[in-house]
Amino acid sequence: MIAILQWTTLAVCAIVAIARIPSALRGENRSIFGIFVLATVAVLLSIDVSYRAIDAWLGSQNYANLILRFVVYCTVLLAGYRIAKAFDASKSIRFITGPAGRAVLTIVGVATVVLFLLADTAGSATGLAMLPSRSPANAVLIEWYAAAGRLYPAFVAACILPATYLAISRRLPRGVRAGALLLTVAFAAMAAGAFFPLIPRVAGYLKAIINYTAVLCLALGLALVWISSLMAKRESSRSLT
Amino acid sequence: MPLPAKAFQLWLHGVAPTASTADICRISGIKRTTLAQQLVRGKVSESTLVSISRALKRSPLDDLASFDSFAGLAEQPQPPTPAELVSQIATMDLLRAVISRSSPAYGGFGDSSSSLTPPLSAAPHATSVRNWVDAIDDGELRHRVSAATGVAPQNYSAQLTANRLSPELAVATSRAAGVGFTGGLVATGLLTEAEAGWTPAAKQAALDALSDGELTALAGERLQSLGRTLRRQEHEHEQTQKIWENLG
Repeated sequence: MIAILQWTTLAVCAIVAIARIPSALRGENRSIFGIFVLATVAVLLSIDVSYRAIDAWLGSQNYANLILRFVVYCTVLLAGYRIAKAFDASKSIRFITGPAGRAVLTIVGVATVVLFLLADTAGSATGLAMLPSRSPANAVLIEWYAAAGRLYPAFVAACILPATYLAISRRLPRGVRAGALLLTVAFAAMAAGAFFPLIPRVAGYLKAIINYTAVLCLALGLALVWISSLMAKRESSRSLT
Repeated sequence: MPLPAKAFQLWLHGVAPTASTADICRISGIKRTTLAQQLVRGKVSESTLVSISRALKRSPLDDLASFDSFAGLAEQPQPPTPAELVSQIATMDLLRAVISRSSPAYGGFGDSSSSLTPPLSAAPHATSVRNWVDAIDDGELRHRVSAATGVAPQNYSAQLTANRLSPELAVATSRAAGVGFTGGLVATGLLTEAEAGWTPAAKQAALDALSDGELTALAGERLQSLGRTLRRQEHEHEQTQKIWENLG
């Protein structure tokens, strides 16, 4: 079940990224292309097979996981800023790029690196599973490291959530509203990351479902808005001729 | 609630006993799949009935009235009130009338109904449903319709904004306002003015009966609400463009 979700997410991100290559070459919204490339990399780094391959190449010290964290921060920052701008949410932009957003990003970035270096991370382990069991100290370090990794996406998601949520019921083209709905689901899932410690250990699979739902909905939502803009362009060029 | 399919088929058999479904669809211009779907679902829309009735050269008003839900529609034909008639004049026609009444220096003829003024366009117009309800509303009409039909006020308002109103709601609105049943059916475009039994000159006569002050105030109100609608559309268009510029 989770494997299907993982590979579907990877496929969607990669396909949209490839589909956007021509427009990126023309210089249209390269940052959106970047979001899809980063999302594809992030998914690659969280699927077991690809993670092991990449991490082995990086020396089996789980540096791939550290890279994953920063890829996620980058994706979220880029996507959050673009989406907030698109939906005219000046408040969200101020939160994300203002002092508050920069402070959160700096603290989370530094904490991620420091906690990673302090922990014993030898031996490839996807999602750093099994590492906490090595010692009580390691368990605490890895837990805080994971919490820091979830904090920034949750922060950005909470900043934009109101804007995309309100857009669902606004009088906009159907494709845009459906896209806004998917983005709202994505950001709600991301924001839910802040509450992962409340999920009981037996329901750990929920975390994976929430994470991949977030990425999948983000990619699908952006793709839907893009497709609706392409269709509108085609329609307007047809009506001119 | 549209017309029950059983009653519809009974009616169809009564008015065109020899015609096949294919014949009916051909003469009325209804797609065969549309009619088949409506029959399967057990609900036939009023516009289907009107199209067929029209094609058979019958009176759509009388045919509608032969169904239980529209009983009493054609019994005591109550002519539309002047306010209802004026509400069915398109905004641009009202503005043309204002200019037409102005002095020749401003391109007018200085009188109320010059033979040079183009004839009024046929109802319905772009905001005919809302204008009709506004024309017969005493301030409590929406509440009474809502209470009588169980339709939530915001759903009712949404239909008015979209210039739509289901035939049942149109009739319920007429009933609640105590006016003739045809006004709403004309305003929603289900029936033409002639089919509703309105005399050809009725709208023009109602317009001519307006004083300059009434006409100008009315045209002003219409223009203002048109301006609001256009501004909202422009705003929505800008928002959409911004979204597509940033994410497209």
